[in-house]
Amino acid sequence: MYQSFIGLEIHIHLLTRTKAFCGCTAEFGAPPNTHVCPVCLGYPGVLPAVNEEAMKMSYMVAKALNCELSPKCYFDRKNYFYPDMTKNYQISQFHDPVGRNGYFDVEVDGEIKRVRIHDVHLEEDAGKMIHSGRTSLLDYNRAGTSLLEIVTEPDLVTGKDAEAFIREFRRMVRHLGVCDGNMEEGSLRCDANVSINLKGQGLGTKTEVKNLNSARFVRKALEYEIKRQGRVLGKGEKVIQETRLWDSDNNVTASMRTKEKAHDYRYFPEPDMPPFCPDDAFMSEVVSRVVELPLVKKQRYLNGLQLSVDAAEFLVEDRLFCDLFEETCALGGDAKQISNWLCGDVQGQLKRAEVALTDSHITAARLNELVKLVDSGVLQRGKAKEVLELVIAEDKDPSAVVREKGFEQVQDDSQLDGWVSEAIDKNPQAVEQILAGNTKTISFLVGQVMRFSKGKADPKKVTDKLSQALGL
Amino acid sequence: MTLLKSWDRVLADVQSRTEYQNYVTAWESKIRSMLTFDLNRDRFGAQDGPLANIPFAVKDNIAVRDFNLTCGSRILENLVSPYTATAVERLQAAGARVVGKTNLDEFGMGSSTDNSALAQTNNPWNVNAVPGGSSGGSAAAVAAGLVPFALGSDTGGSVRQPAAFCGCFGLKPTYGTVSRFGLVAYASSLEVIGVLSRGVDTLETVYDIIAGRDDRDQSSVARPQNSPARGTARVGILRQIAELSPAIDAAYRETIEKVKSLGVEIVEIDIPALEYVVPAYYTIATAEASANLARYTGIRYGHRTSDDSSMEQMVAASRNEGFGDEVKLRILLGTYVLRSGFQDQYYIRAQKIRTAIRNGFDAAFGQVDLMLTPVFPTQAFLRGEGELTPFQQKLADKFTAAANLAGIPALTVPIGVTDGLPTAMQLLAPDFAEHRMFDFARRMGVDMAAMTPDGFDEGWRK
Amino acid sequence: MNVNELKTTAQLAMLDIPDPEKLAQAFSEMLDNFSKMMAVDVEGLEPTTHALAQGNRLREDVPRGTDESEAVLDRAPEREDRFFKIPNVL
Repeated sequence: MYQSFIGLEIHIHLLTRTKAFCGCTAEFGAPPNTHVCPVCLGYPGVLPAVNEEAMKMSYMVAKALNCELSPKCYFDRKNYFYPDMTKNYQISQFHDPVGRNGYFDVEVDGEIKRVRIHDVHLEEDAGKMIHSGRTSLLDYNRAGTSLLEIVTEPDLVTGKDAEAFIREFRRMVRHLGVCDGNMEEGSLRCDANVSINLKGQGLGTKTEVKNLNSARFVRKALEYEIKRQGRVLGKGEKVIQETRLWDSDNNVTASMRTKEKAHDYRYFPEPDMPPFCPDDAFMSEVVSRVVELPLVKKQRYLNGLQLSVDAAEFLVEDRLFCDLFEETCALGGDAKQISNWLCGDVQGQLKRAEVALTDSHITAARLNELVKLVDSGVLQRGKAKEVLELVIAEDKDPSAVVREKGFEQVQDDSQLDGWVSEAIDKNPQAVEQILAGNTKTISFLVGQVMRFSKGKADPKKVTDKLSQALGL
Repeated sequence: MTLLKSWDRVLADVQSRTEYQNYVTAWESKIRSMLTFDLNRDRFGAQDGPLANIPFAVKDNIAVRDFNLTCGSRILENLVSPYTATAVERLQAAGARVVGKTNLDEFGMGSSTDNSALAQTNNPWNVNAVPGGSSGGSAAAVAAGLVPFALGSDTGGSVRQPAAFCGCFGLKPTYGTVSRFGLVAYASSLEVIGVLSRGVDTLETVYDIIAGRDDRDQSSVARPQNSPARGTARVGILRQIAELSPAIDAAYRETIEKVKSLGVEIVEIDIPALEYVVPAYYTIATAEASANLARYTGIRYGHRTSDDSSMEQMVAASRNEGFGDEVKLRILLGTYVLRSGFQDQYYIRAQKIRTAIRNGFDAAFGQVDLMLTPVFPTQAFLRGEGELTPFQQKLADKFTAAANLAGIPALTVPIGVTDGLPTAMQLLAPDFAEHRMFDFARRMGVDMAAMTPDGFDEGWRK
Repeated sequence: MNVNELKTTAQLAMLDIPDPEKLAQAFSEMLDNFSKMMAVDVEGLEPTTHALAQGNRLREDVPRGTDESEAVLDRAPEREDRFFKIPNVL
């Protein structure tokens, strides 16, 4: 009887080398207050200077989210006091953000759901605080790093929808190369607004749920919160508009109970940076960098290339696998076969070696070579794992590994024919059995040939030759 | 370059330095124009360049590495700047050396320099009179001959009004032509670093060095390749000018006659929106100030109270102890006009009026090459009885603040001396036409040799 | 001008105003002056949000290289190791 409405506010850290408005490096993990300068510490007299790459990445995301891209965007100051913010205003975008009125398609239970995007805007992150005893300690390494906020309309209905959205979104920004998508480390953060109401009554009173640092928590917290609000309304009470934190130990949301202070952000245009009007060169770079999105790719892999659902899912989870897959296909191989190699042996060997694909020395050319070696019978299928292991460990081409290790199967007809004749000559009993109709015995003869060849004969070819010689 | 030429030996040897120090010390006991004076601190002035070894002073809201950056405020009283403003760097690269940081109204908020929390600066012409503000220290130092030029900042007249009060030239450049990087922000969309000097040539030399686009200030602009024509055939005056003091009124009329005598046509101009300069200016300036001054909390630098009972208490008390009354008033006004529910009525309306003022000047400069107006309705005022109230001082910003709202350049030109105090007029020009004003100021032929306060001496450095 | 409005405003501005009544007069004087703007017909006028803005300004995404962290940490009113220190916020 109740209908639920979920909207998400997602923040992503853009993978820029420097902060949004100064030349400090945006790297994480340095000792406290290492990557700081007068600009990001809000010294008197300094001015922000917006990062070109941050602007490009912002437009890329807005474009990927099908937004109306702003022909003239500018920054606003959002005014409020907090010690983690060095200027006590946040440079953000309010009046004219990078993108507006977009949408993003998400697949839930095999169905596509279209979620409207309210806006995409670029802003700066705050510093970090550590609270201990009577004091709080401030580290501003993160202060001023570029943060992109994506606000959806309340179009999601269930916790499952929201989880699917986050997963698809995360995959998308990773494909675009604008964010590493790490929710635990906070480079992708998600807050959710949720309300419920009687069907047909529109939005209810919403609560904001924070501290959702995994896609699974997004689902669980929202499922909990929707039930909780249902219980509140069921008792004839009212939902209080408030911020609640997800407690993943106890699987509940709990009110933050902050002191309710008057706040009024007093947005006004940031006078220190002029409006930005993307020109043709800027836009064409943005467009060229917005690669095929994972969901579209997946559909193409499934419908166009006839990959299995598992293979397609596996590949689109990682842009690098997709690239390797597509590059290898472009060299002329069979898509289905290549996808199987990638999900199977390649993935397996990488896992075993604990190596990332980028550091694995596996290239499209090498994968293509490996597949061809097996296809043409030069390499026994069973030896491929070993070859891959050495490609990864020693940065060598598969053909070189095969040669060095003596893995080539003998393909030479005269040599094979010699062994075949020898096997027939030396095993008249077996030949008799075969000719009498016990065709299974042929494998015994194949085994003999393999013995003569010290395992280097291609068993398939040998079988063919035996059959031919015996007139089968 | 004659004025500058006479300065290039003052730092040359121990004896010259001593004479220089003595001259400054004698004056400073009367006028206290500088918060710091140190001939040895600037380690960054280049050995050669057009301004090699020329000393200059910098308003203490402009950053110079190793020097204080007090902004005339308790809250930054002990801050030593870790970096240098672009404009200062450019002068250092040309060989000039910073020798002093000059006093100002706290954060540039005032018209007398009496709003400085750190020192009282007196007018070199009459120590009972204010030097004007907010760049009062720079104006007093230049007028007394302590430096050949000084940098100031002009948000609503803060270079031009003290230049007028102390009897020197004062340039407010076109918005953005001089980088604001290193200028402590009061009202970012209005202000610009300016120059004060007793000579137009010096002003021009310095301006040409400090002007230029800066990567660290994205609101800075490049001057166009084809600069506006330098000649002046027509000068506009406002049809309605009211409430001038007798001395200023006389100087104004005299200047109009002088301009006519140069063969230049005088054209009466109407810009009705100018009636609203003061409210529009103060609405925008205080709004921006409320955000710009939010960073002073005693957390990262600057004054911090001893009251650490809570974070909020610590911040509020540090600000309360660190800011003077005028600064608090303006922060409150600015916060108020930006509040939701009030923005349309104040801040946004002011921004629209700003557009009307700009349009008015654009139309005017279709008819005339320059505009001529008073700088301030009175000469430098005396402290005590008869002094303008803070509110009256704000109303009197109407002539100067118009240029900041429009973004156009303006120049204070000294006219003469009446009752022992200087009089001055203001030239206004279209964007980037600074050199047109310089040329016209030279044509006006001010006799600076006659514009010297008692005690002014150039003999010691010859 | 209502003193409560002034107090709310002061709270937003993180200012501790010991004597709001004293300030209220100067405040009202200015607000009255601002109210004169209501007489202007601003129909059709776009607000000027940026003074003489010129072209697109973007900074190349290249790290600065110099380390200014010691200089700024030295200026901290209170620090602990490499942290800025303040009373507990929670």
